[in-house]
Amino acid sequence: MRPACADLAIDVAHLAKSYGAIDAVSDVSLRIARGETFGFLGPNGAGKTTSVKMLLGLTRPTGGGGTLLGRPLGDRRARAKVGYLPELFRYHDWMTAREELTFHAGLAEVPYADRARNIDEILDLVGLSRRANDRIGTYSKGMQQRVGIGVALLGSPEIVFLDEPTSALDPVGRRDVREMVRALKARGTSVFLNSHLLSEVEQTCDRIAIVDRGRIVAAGSIADVVGGSLGVRLRLGVLDDAALALLRRYGTPVPAGDWQTIAGVPRESIPALVRELAAAGVEIFAVEPLTTTLEQRFMEVMQA
Amino acid sequence: MTILGIASLTLHEMIRRRLILVAAILTVVVALLTGFAFHALATKLYHGHPLPHVQVLAIAAQLLTLVAYMFSLVFALGGAFLAAPALAGDVDTGLLLPMLTRPVRRVDIVLGKFLGLAVFLSVYAFGCGLLEFAIVRATTGYWPPHPFVALGYLSGVAIVMVAATLLFASRLSMVASGIASVVLYGLAWIVGVASDIGANAHIQAMVDAGTISQLLLPSDAFWRTAVYHLEPAALIAGLHGNAPFMVATPPPLAMLLWSFGWIVVVVAAACWSFATRDF
Repeated sequence: MRPACADLAIDVAHLAKSYGAIDAVSDVSLRIARGETFGFLGPNGAGKTTSVKMLLGLTRPTGGGGTLLGRPLGDRRARAKVGYLPELFRYHDWMTAREELTFHAGLAEVPYADRARNIDEILDLVGLSRRANDRIGTYSKGMQQRVGIGVALLGSPEIVFLDEPTSALDPVGRRDVREMVRALKARGTSVFLNSHLLSEVEQTCDRIAIVDRGRIVAAGSIADVVGGSLGVRLRLGVLDDAALALLRRYGTPVPAGDWQTIAGVPRESIPALVRELAAAGVEIFAVEPLTTTLEQRFMEVMQA
Repeated sequence: MTILGIASLTLHEMIRRRLILVAAILTVVVALLTGFAFHALATKLYHGHPLPHVQVLAIAAQLLTLVAYMFSLVFALGGAFLAAPALAGDVDTGLLLPMLTRPVRRVDIVLGKFLGLAVFLSVYAFGCGLLEFAIVRATTGYWPPHPFVALGYLSGVAIVMVAATLLFASRLSMVASGIASVVLYGLAWIVGVASDIGANAHIQAMVDAGTISQLLLPSDAFWRTAVYHLEPAALIAGLHGNAPFMVATPPPLAMLLWSFGWIVVVVAAACWSFATRDF
């Protein structure tokens, strides 16, 4: 169901950006609901970062337009409710993490009385409490990215843009970011996630869009984009004629050793198939629904 | 409020990066070295006798304009080399991106940087200028006629350079904006010297070139006004036209008004240019 205008965190139509003869973005239209976690995917140079910069008012579109949090792109009042982690993050290396967060809390107009508490919570959330008073210049790249995530989360933003938020993080850091994204979603914050890591997007996002050469080439829920079930693969005991007839009611079983693969079985029909097999006394050792992964679908779209 | 916050950030950065400490130490070293030279001038015996005091004062006044030129060069280059990284450097590295997505006006960022750098360079100019004057007075007894006015105009040289560099830095890279303003500064100075030569030789085209140069980058107009206020009346009376480090006739009031207006217009242009660019 399409969200109503008032419920939209992002509502843009036909955004375009050209640099002379080069079209960085040709046609990007997005409607993202408040509280939604949205994944923006595409190969390098597809126009993802330019699109994010247009949404944030850092770059002026040469075509199209729309709103962010109900206000025109680049509006100052909307920016008071936005958090942003750039892809190429850099913070004041002569400041401590606490000082950087304090500085941004001032820019973000976080009420003075709430700042110390908000900063302590964020330092704890991004795992920097112990190094909060060390200079950022002494931090590893991953720790600097954690500072950036903390800066983006300051002041309870209504939407957070994370551009490749785990590019410098180790597996533990990536898991932490996934948990942070889920926590943001739980408190109703919209998240716009720009990432090359498809598994990350698959695990955290409600909806996605795939952009290529400045255009959105696929969009919707992950299930919509990935496509329906490809069938089911079953490892079964001895099959008599009745059991084979039962399988044939769902499709054409293709045997391979102990395994039977039936193409085209809808995901929602699989439990009924399993129930019927069990009722018919067939031993069931394994059931594997067959689906396309987001990565497979992404590659198909890119090669199309 | 954001302007003051950005200005404060700019000053803090210079303190934390030990720029102010290094500048202060080098300034004291330079002042002490020039102090030895002025002391030697005052105590040196010529044919068994010290120089007459009035002659010591005259030479000290001329030497002080040379020292002032050295400092003006430091202020001008300081203005360029501090302003370029302060704006273009922060853009080049991406440091400004998360700041620009806050509810701040881009204009405030430029004005904050300008204010922070102008305050720092002015305080630095007055600090090292007064230190130098004190040393000259202690060693030779000479004290320039209008030290505070002169230092104000020397600060103007730095502020002109900050404004010009911020304008370039609003669109160009850090290196390009720094180099562009330093080249313009050098050009303005040398055209000013050529203008003096043209005035002495009655070549109007060279005089006009100097005027145009001062209109385009008024650092030379501020420098000349500063020197004029450092020179004692007796020295000015003895000059036959301007020389590279001596000024018999300061720029007219209209040129000074233009110069102050130029700073306002160039800073406004830098604000507009920065506010309308893409990142």
